[in-house]
Amino acid sequence: MTALPTEKIDAVIVGSGAAGSHFAARLAQAGKRVAILEAGPARENEDLVSSMLWARRLKGSGAPVLETGKDTVGYGFNAGRGVGGSSMHHYAVWPRMHENDFRVKSLYGRSRDWPIGYADLQAYYDRVQDECGIAGEHRMESTRPPGAPYPMPRVPVFEQGRIVGHGFEAMGMKVSPLPLAVTTRAFRGRPQCMWDGWCDAGCPIGALANAQTVHLPQAQAAGATLHPDTEVVRVLTDASGKRATGVEAITKDGQRVKVMADVVVLAAFTIQNPRLLLASATAQHPDGLANASGTLGRFITGHMAVPVFGLHEKETNPGFGASGGQLLNQEHYDDKNAHKAKGAFGSYQWMIAQAMKPNGLLGIASSRPDLRGKALSEFMERASRHMITMTGVVEDEALAENRVTLSARKDAAGVPLASVAHTSSKASNALWDVAAAEGVRVFEAAGAKEAWHANRAPMHIMGGTVMGESAANSVTNSYGQCHDVPNLFIGGAGLFPTSAAVNPTFTLHALSARSVEHLVANWSAAVG
Amino acid sequence: MHAHPTRRELLKAGGVGLLTFTLGGSVVKLSPAEAQAAGVPLAALTREEADTLAALGERLVPGSREAGVVAFVDYQLAASSGDCMLMLQYLGVDPPFTPFYREGLAALNVAARALYKLPFAELQDAPADALVDALAEGKIEGWTGPPPPLFYFVVRNDACDVTYGTEKGFAALGVPYAAHITPPSAWGEPS
Repeated sequence: MTALPTEKIDAVIVGSGAAGSHFAARLAQAGKRVAILEAGPARENEDLVSSMLWARRLKGSGAPVLETGKDTVGYGFNAGRGVGGSSMHHYAVWPRMHENDFRVKSLYGRSRDWPIGYADLQAYYDRVQDECGIAGEHRMESTRPPGAPYPMPRVPVFEQGRIVGHGFEAMGMKVSPLPLAVTTRAFRGRPQCMWDGWCDAGCPIGALANAQTVHLPQAQAAGATLHPDTEVVRVLTDASGKRATGVEAITKDGQRVKVMADVVVLAAFTIQNPRLLLASATAQHPDGLANASGTLGRFITGHMAVPVFGLHEKETNPGFGASGGQLLNQEHYDDKNAHKAKGAFGSYQWMIAQAMKPNGLLGIASSRPDLRGKALSEFMERASRHMITMTGVVEDEALAENRVTLSARKDAAGVPLASVAHTSSKASNALWDVAAAEGVRVFEAAGAKEAWHANRAPMHIMGGTVMGESAANSVTNSYGQCHDVPNLFIGGAGLFPTSAAVNPTFTLHALSARSVEHLVANWSAAVG
Repeated sequence: MHAHPTRRELLKAGGVGLLTFTLGGSVVKLSPAEAQAAGVPLAALTREEADTLAALGERLVPGSREAGVVAFVDYQLAASSGDCMLMLQYLGVDPPFTPFYREGLAALNVAARALYKLPFAELQDAPADALVDALAEGKIEGWTGPPPPLFYFVVRNDACDVTYGTEKGFAALGVPYAAHITPPSAWGEPS
């Protein structure tokens, strides 16, 4: 294992997932001395075992996270454990956020605004898409905001996708190829995807854009060092409280060490970033580091998924394709009041025809948890050949009371555990109901012999360290730079002031690209 | 499945999909189903808990007893938390997970004895099914274990994992496994 730096370096990055690896690559390429500290274990391609049981080693992370509220965000299922973080088990569905997603408060008088608009991110979306590779067809994706054409041809549509696509068309709704950060041809040294549906277990061939495939190799080639099994327990500040000086961490053999740096980047996932900041309180920051505004930990949002299932008389080969799906529908996305009459607010989209394995939380057997005994055996025989599925991604209104706080319980290192409270708004729940009913109608229109939806399932966690224009009501500026501690940066979906209704990874990459470019260009000012 | 796998059968299995056990002083490799049949000592559960789990698993997911639901859960409970493959870790229950199973299985036996004067594993079909129905619906009077529907969901899923989630399980359903990286064992023991 590479030794931890003993002398002060330029940047220490906490977390090796999508955001942390992106920051690391750009900073190292700019000539900065960079160390990435990762709480979880090292991961190699051969660890990405094709099995929904083995896949569970990639999820969760470290000390327990306590969850309260009616609509828990599902930390254990959504977080990532080990090098690459949750990017290693993410499904690489990479749609762009829409223009109205950035201006929810201005346009609708609810929730929050982002401090930037789509136009500020467009060039970064284009750049990230060129670097990481997205398969799609922009001319068919009529709801897509402006941007460069996708660099790879569209994802193929298999039987399951064709069947569900017909259901949408029969209802007068459009589907387009799902934008996936998965290779449909050889791309930048990565081979073409084989479509055998194991994305959830991690892609060992490099077809799916994750930290290990894209940014970690770049970071390490440029000299960044990666330190697995090194859990950061505190962000350190100087006597003034206005500058971060580094981090304190615990190594695998239990040693408490300090890594000092001019810049600290927290990219330890949505829940752990605010936990660390709250746990790093000092006399100058009595309510937690970078929390003068009182917003640290607040505005946690989580997409409540709408799992829709059906059985079709045709064989659908449901295990085949990508875990993320084959097709996309964003019918009413651009009007967040489209279902106001039903008390609903927000946008939603459908990811259509996911590859399904027989077992697992998102597997075929879990689609009918009520079945048991002989009825389950018969169902599995049939459903493993005839299943159709799609998943709705529903916007979650940003509420101050949905928040991360510190528990009285502590982990082995003495750091208080994170407690996450989350209850969706009535309007978000009403929107979920609208989507669930629509999903079942689509499957009936597709000719399903049976169609049903499951309960809401938490997917993606955002907020908690939200960006904003004003230091009075946000944690960071639009670059993820903490208002109160200018050499402390935050990366990841925790910056999102609102959840939108698209998968967050593409946007967090676009934000990371913008943040790190700003940091490199304004290094002296940031370091202070 | 033979009660005691022969050396030939063990060799035929070629070390793939096998767990390492100490039986009668010598180290052998067995598949989880073989381990269960061979009466391998349990690492986390008691024999009564194992019998209850096997009976409940089989009632929820036919075939799960032979597929090794007890060996799977017992092995995972004894494994280090970082390598845990139980779905329970997604469901907001704090580790260690043994008390969750222990309390749920004990509560099920308390209910079985109160209603039918027998442990769950010895119930006939009709009373066992009635009790499982009550478990799924959370309608067992005096229940003291984890929330009954959660316990039902977790054990059902464990039983699905061993029955449907392995290469053998896929083959039984006629679903191509098509691994990129073939599982070195069914659920995690390094060879």
